[in-house]
Amino acid sequence: MDIRSLSAASGYAAARPATKIDAEHSGGDLGSLLKNSFQDFTATLQQSEQISISAMTGNADPHALVVALAQTELAVETAVTVRNKVVEAYQEILRMPV
Amino acid sequence: MSDFSNSLAVSASGLKAQATRLRHVSENISNADTPGYRRKMVPFEAVRDMHTNVEVVKVGRVLLDRSALDKVYDPSHPLANESGHYEGSNVDLMLEIADAREAQRSYEANLKMFDQTRQMSASLMELLRR
Repeated sequence: MDIRSLSAASGYAAARPATKIDAEHSGGDLGSLLKNSFQDFTATLQQSEQISISAMTGNADPHALVVALAQTELAVETAVTVRNKVVEAYQEILRMPV
Repeated sequence: MSDFSNSLAVSASGLKAQATRLRHVSENISNADTPGYRRKMVPFEAVRDMHTNVEVVKVGRVLLDRSALDKVYDPSHPLANESGHYEGSNVDLMLEIADAREAQRSYEANLKMFDQTRQMSASLMELLRR
């Protein structure tokens, strides 16, 4: 057996864990983090929708409407920017010559 | 909640408080000729929001101006006493106009802070977009 191919295989096996996220840098489970942020996002959208409806029917203060819409704008901008970044990264990987 | 949304909420509380103040000023001006009307004064209070731990401004209990009412001479008025005077309101239009102008300026300042916060968050997002 060729000794060099064996050492290459073991070197490859040792290199693979380097692509994993370290425990100290991950800051918790990625799935639950994403889930929490999406739930916050939906709550913000629903709240602003409620306030918009009550403002249109004359029950809510216009200041509350402006705050809710500005916060929703902030949330949507953040979500769209992060999504664009993720899609861009994915396309970058797809274009990678193998 | 981020600092941006907190400062949006604080600015909005300032806007709301100044709008309430302007409403009381217009009540005072419209009742300037009402007999026995006492001028309303709006106190502001800093309230710490337990949830987000930021200090917002709230309008407290409205106070009535205790200064003496204006004596108006009109013997034909139904409320006139034996000397021909009746008690008008203690609203000073000059004070009310000054108060309204101050409310307008404070409203503009809060509005500018609101806009500033939005611009800052927009430029932060712009950084990621490139």
